[in-house]
Amino acid sequence: MTRQKYLFLLPGLLVLLAIILFPLLFTIRVSFSSWDVAQPGLDWAGGRNYALMMQDGRFWQSLLRLGFIAVAAVILQYVIGFGLALLVWRDVVLKRFIRVLFLIPMMTTPVIMSVIWRTIFHESLGPANDLVRLLGFAPMPWLSTGGMAVVSVIIVEVWQWTPFMFLLLLAGLLSLPREPFLAAAIDGAGPLRSFMNVTFPMMAPISIAALVIRLIESSKIMETVYVMTSGGPGTATETSSYYIYIRGLREFQIGYAASLSLTYLIIMIVCLTVIAKLLVRFMIPRG
Amino acid sequence: MTLTAQNLSLTIDGTPHLAGVDIALARGGLYTVLGRTLAGKTTLLRVIAGLQPVDEGLLTLDGRDYRALPVWKRSVAMVYQQFINYPHLDVLANVAFPLRRLGVGAAEAQRRARETLARVGLQAFENRRPSQLSGGQQQRVALARALVKNADLLLLDEPLVNLDYKLREQLREEFRSLLAEQAHSIVVYTTTDPTEAMLLGRTISVMHEGRILQVGSPAAVFDRPADIRVAGIINDPPMNLLDGIIADGAIRLAGDIRLALPRHMAEIAPGSYRFGLRAIDAGLRADAVAMRVELAEISGSETLLHVAGGCGRLVLQIEGVHGYAIGDRVGVALPSERMFVFGQDGRLLRAPHSDDRRS
Amino acid sequence: MRTLYLLFKYAAILLWSGFVVGPFLWALSTSFKTANGVMGGPTYIPWLQYQPSLEGWRVLVRTDGTGIDIVGPYLSSIVVTFSASAISLILGTLAAYGLSRFTYRWGFVKTSDITFFFISQRIMPPIVLAIPFFLMLRFLGLLDTIAGLILVYIALLLPIAVWVMVDFFNNVPKQIDEMAMIDGCTPIQTFLRVILPNSLPGLVVAGLFCIIFGWNDFFFAFTMTFTKTQLLPVAVVALNSSVTPWWSLSASALVSVVPLVIVAFLVERFLSRGNLAGAVR
Repeated sequence: MTRQKYLFLLPGLLVLLAIILFPLLFTIRVSFSSWDVAQPGLDWAGGRNYALMMQDGRFWQSLLRLGFIAVAAVILQYVIGFGLALLVWRDVVLKRFIRVLFLIPMMTTPVIMSVIWRTIFHESLGPANDLVRLLGFAPMPWLSTGGMAVVSVIIVEVWQWTPFMFLLLLAGLLSLPREPFLAAAIDGAGPLRSFMNVTFPMMAPISIAALVIRLIESSKIMETVYVMTSGGPGTATETSSYYIYIRGLREFQIGYAASLSLTYLIIMIVCLTVIAKLLVRFMIPRG
Repeated sequence: MTLTAQNLSLTIDGTPHLAGVDIALARGGLYTVLGRTLAGKTTLLRVIAGLQPVDEGLLTLDGRDYRALPVWKRSVAMVYQQFINYPHLDVLANVAFPLRRLGVGAAEAQRRARETLARVGLQAFENRRPSQLSGGQQQRVALARALVKNADLLLLDEPLVNLDYKLREQLREEFRSLLAEQAHSIVVYTTTDPTEAMLLGRTISVMHEGRILQVGSPAAVFDRPADIRVAGIINDPPMNLLDGIIADGAIRLAGDIRLALPRHMAEIAPGSYRFGLRAIDAGLRADAVAMRVELAEISGSETLLHVAGGCGRLVLQIEGVHGYAIGDRVGVALPSERMFVFGQDGRLLRAPHSDDRRS
Repeated sequence: MRTLYLLFKYAAILLWSGFVVGPFLWALSTSFKTANGVMGGPTYIPWLQYQPSLEGWRVLVRTDGTGIDIVGPYLSSIVVTFSASAISLILGTLAAYGLSRFTYRWGFVKTSDITFFFISQRIMPPIVLAIPFFLMLRFLGLLDTIAGLILVYIALLLPIAVWVMVDFFNNVPKQIDEMAMIDGCTPIQTFLRVILPNSLPGLVVAGLFCIIFGWNDFFFAFTMTFTKTQLLPVAVVALNSSVTPWWSLSASALVSVVPLVIVAFLVERFLSRGNLAGAVR
């Protein structure tokens, strides 16, 4: 209808394309080269990097690890976040204060908090084991065994991002219409019934949005790992981002790292799309 | 100044919104467009305003191609059915806004805005925000903003439909006198209410499914609806339709009901026709056609009686509030001298003389 | 039954609140410790379990070379975050308005595809862009500079601004735009004079998100800068790998996260005014 409409879209679009598109195309090109410390520069190595990648067990394990950590963390964030939102939703003393309090972790710089968490999880000098001893258990090897290291990362992720779920789900609960609840009460539904058949189904769209957004962000986990465990012990907490970082920016195998990152990107896009569609299928028809 | 349109056609997602619309609007005219919901009235208005492009057709103002002119360069003002005002400006700034856009100085714009606010009776509200006003007041602000710039085209899209009944009647009267003063502009007013259309407009256009069925003065369209569809739209409740034949100098309706042939039907050839009778023209008479009550609707100070019988279904409009039970037997008078005759194709063949009308 | 529920409710809230503030309290307490308070095992209460000292904090303001320079990274972070957020907000809001109000079509690419393109940038793992960004900035001579970082951050924050504002604009009735155009505004004037003044809630949310994501980024600041320019997260993490004592580490960390915690209070005030419900989806 009007020429002016391009004035709105183009500045932002062109800037974004310029900053993102060229690097992306460049990465694709580089992935077909064997650029590393020994031979810097853009040569043509065909699909060699991709062939290597297929045999790279460490890479595929990092993907599985990432999947586990991300999904576990997000599910915990969702359950706890939803629970908290339900608790604070209606009448509660100091509602506003509690809401602000619960919001705080999300506003902090994740890396910096990881630095603090590292001191917390210190096995002899940190309060984590102190607390564990207080509860009557043996001190845990928080960062020194593979299994516990994964748990520690998940704990930090849950601390950091549950507020996001809390915020989104609370906003969703607050915007729900009253009528279905009144109807359910009239029909004699108790709190559990009311939740299962009224609250939860009505929250489905927001739940899905929250889960998908958090999964997208979780799939990039790298900073927490970098600070707290350096991918360790061994490769116990090595996520794909971290592994690619090592290959690309530490060992400077740029060509190989490029092929890894592109594959990683494509797998992420496919998985997230599938998960999003599955969530919609299973959560929407429920009432 | 004349606005003409030829063959305006617009189809969206396979549904025709406008199908070959021709219009001719002249300065000083007060045109109402009457039609049911989704008849295309709003679309037509938006096309005239420039908010909606058409697939084909010409739109010219004084011979110049109007379609090429972008909205903001046109001399047009519009009032929506949802009360649209600028939320971030107070009432005075709202009304002054179009003047400022035209380059009028701040002081002068405020003066003229105040004048117009006085015309709509809102002079005391100039410092309020629209959100602090009632629905009727908000719509008056919108009208003031539309009037203040004395545009060539003044378009109103069912402006009273979102107001409650009493307010609507009151504002209708105010709008009527305000719009009549706009001798400089072409005023187009859309509505679904036939009473409103006939009250406000000097020329009525009846629209149906994207087409204009009839254009004329209120009296002309009311007394001589061009076809069955117009008869259905211009009458509220819609005109009753009965199938029957004219033969042997009489009207024979279904169910073996025989009526005398009135003067205005004297020259029709015998055959099958559809007969139209207004709800208000049918009445109750104990010795007339026997029918059964199906529903009695009370509407204001009148009763709408839905009856059924051998000749079909009818709606009667009777004065007063009467309680009839479903199943009651009543006698329905079908005065043939008040009947319209439509051919099988729906077109009007004969209309009753208007001086026969009962009060 | 009801009292049991209430008990459970407040216990749960208390528990989680403890979990939330725990790390802060620990860091706060630790920042006042000295070697004695740390080496023998975890201590918590000052004066009772350890002797408090301001050494952890003093080290931040010392300018004689033995201190930790936190002011420099602080300023750099402020400049980079606000510049990138401002630019992203401006470009993003413009683009979002276009995507909300107009239809675009280039070949088989529709408006909704373009919107999706913007929003899907968030899926991009930073590592995929890190290497080419690195090489690109090196080529432009912008490595280790504030300008280079701002450029990179725009790529991160622009999608966020577009995401929030497109949703917001979609909830503003188009009739207001039409009314403005009928009253004589060109599309640009409509945007500036009518839509923008009404978009404050959305702009605040978008701006907030941009600032939060920008301030908290570590990865790109880490890979694109070395010595000349240092952002706050990088500075603090750098302390982690050296032999920095826990008390100065904690002090630095606390000082870095405080600004956004304050922002949390502002966000809550906005939430309680009901403005967030529509803008966040």
